[in-house]
Amino acid sequence: MKPNMAPISKAYPRIRESILEINSLRKVFHIDGSSLTVLDGIDFSVDKGEMICILGRSGCGKSTLLKMLAGFLSPSSGEILLNGKPVADPGPDRCVVFQEDTLFPWLTVKENIAFGLKGRARNKKVFDEEVERFLSLVGLSEFRNYLPREISGGMKKRVALARVLILKPEVLLMDEPFASLDAQTREEMQNFLLSLWKNLSHTIIFVTHDVTEAVTLADKILVMTKDPGRIREEIRVDLPRPRKREKSDFLFFSRKLYKGLREK
Amino acid sequence: MIKEKNTKLHNSVFQILPWIIPAVFMLIWIIVSETGLIPTYLLPHPVEIGKAGYTYIFDNPGDAPFAGRFLNDAGASLMRVGSGFAFAVLFGLPLGVVSGRLSLVRKLMSTTINALRAVPGISWLPLAMIWFGIGIKTTVFLVALAAFFPIYLNAAAGARQINPLLLQAGAMMGVNRLRGTFAILLPGAMPQIMTGLRLGLGISWAYLVLGELTGVPNGLGAVIMDARMLGRIDIIVVGIIIIAVMGRASDQLLKTSLRFCFKSARRMS
Repeated sequence: MKPNMAPISKAYPRIRESILEINSLRKVFHIDGSSLTVLDGIDFSVDKGEMICILGRSGCGKSTLLKMLAGFLSPSSGEILLNGKPVADPGPDRCVVFQEDTLFPWLTVKENIAFGLKGRARNKKVFDEEVERFLSLVGLSEFRNYLPREISGGMKKRVALARVLILKPEVLLMDEPFASLDAQTREEMQNFLLSLWKNLSHTIIFVTHDVTEAVTLADKILVMTKDPGRIREEIRVDLPRPRKREKSDFLFFSRKLYKGLREK
Repeated sequence: MIKEKNTKLHNSVFQILPWIIPAVFMLIWIIVSETGLIPTYLLPHPVEIGKAGYTYIFDNPGDAPFAGRFLNDAGASLMRVGSGFAFAVLFGLPLGVVSGRLSLVRKLMSTTINALRAVPGISWLPLAMIWFGIGIKTTVFLVALAAFFPIYLNAAAGARQINPLLLQAGAMMGVNRLRGTFAILLPGAMPQIMTGLRLGLGISWAYLVLGELTGVPNGLGAVIMDARMLGRIDIIVVGIIIIAVMGRASDQLLKTSLRFCFKSARRMS
């Protein structure tokens, strides 16, 4: 089954309204008496409805950064403000799509999607309608009664997306979500994510080590370097969507990013 | 997982498979009895066992020694196994899950549990008899004590080994502690919990016989002891077979009812 992959023909004008502010964020891990500065002096802000990619090689602290945004880790110093309020604990306003498969293996596709909405919907009718809506949004209505182990990797990612989108998070955090997929499926999922993003206009922070993925998706790319993890540069990608990988302007951005990743 | 071929032949082979070993045993038993290879005072002929079993189960009480005692014995034993096992679940499951999640509780419990676990059940018998007297209480105590350990240890292992990302996923979806426990932790640990419960129930039957060894008038263990005293080896064998059958049946019942009650038990094992 093909998801709705209508091309996004123009860059969407968005009202610049900051939703997330990260101010001089720092994370130090203490291991066996010695301390390791994983992130140092991280500053950036995210506008409402923006798609941000955090690009960096493994070990640069990008996942740590995302875990702090999600509230799984607390910063050593600095602050994270969501709509002006500091972030402390994990919560449904900042949902995460993990790199690993974290669907509940004892629940069906439908039950997984409905899980977070339980006790949150106004009544049974609204609840059922929402679950149906998101089942069909990710194109899995026919697979509603399947268990996670019975569906493909790409389908699992769609369930993982649906189960958090149904909660209408302020910010969607994605931690290399497509890294485990094969090349075709990954491209399919990227397009699918873009179509979802266009329809639901979420704010998305997408962590990746893949330059092509970053250029395909992002409004803005934050390039990270390691030891300690810092944001080396912020690159705004103003290409219209859909972006063709072979085009010279796409390649221009790719080359620039590769260069940025190589330099220390 | 290897996908099984779903042919008719394959299915019927699977149906027969569990009965092959008992059938071979039976066959060997018949052969050694018929040929006199093993004298009947050591192992009676299967037909004799059948007759003794029939008497024990169906004849009127008083017609012969052991006649018609079955219902009474089985009922008493089931009651003892049931209540001992219930106590073990009541304490073992929550304690196990909690100590699987909280290192503080684990640290507090583990030395004591592992020390107590090393004590063979039979060494508790004299003490239990002094504490609880002869009878049902001693048996229930022994059964509960024995079944507690596998239930506790497996629940703790299951709760400890649960994928932390599942709990994180729950937290980010706004699941509170209570719902997290019942909707994520317990289902996630279900395969191990189930293993613990089944091991616990199995060991319950073993300790039932131990508990009934001395001075209880009824029960399957008591029958075996009475028969030993009277030299009725046929009744001993009958008792063994009945315990085996009831143990197997209770395991099946436990498995089926867990699967009936819990999605996680149904879908993950």
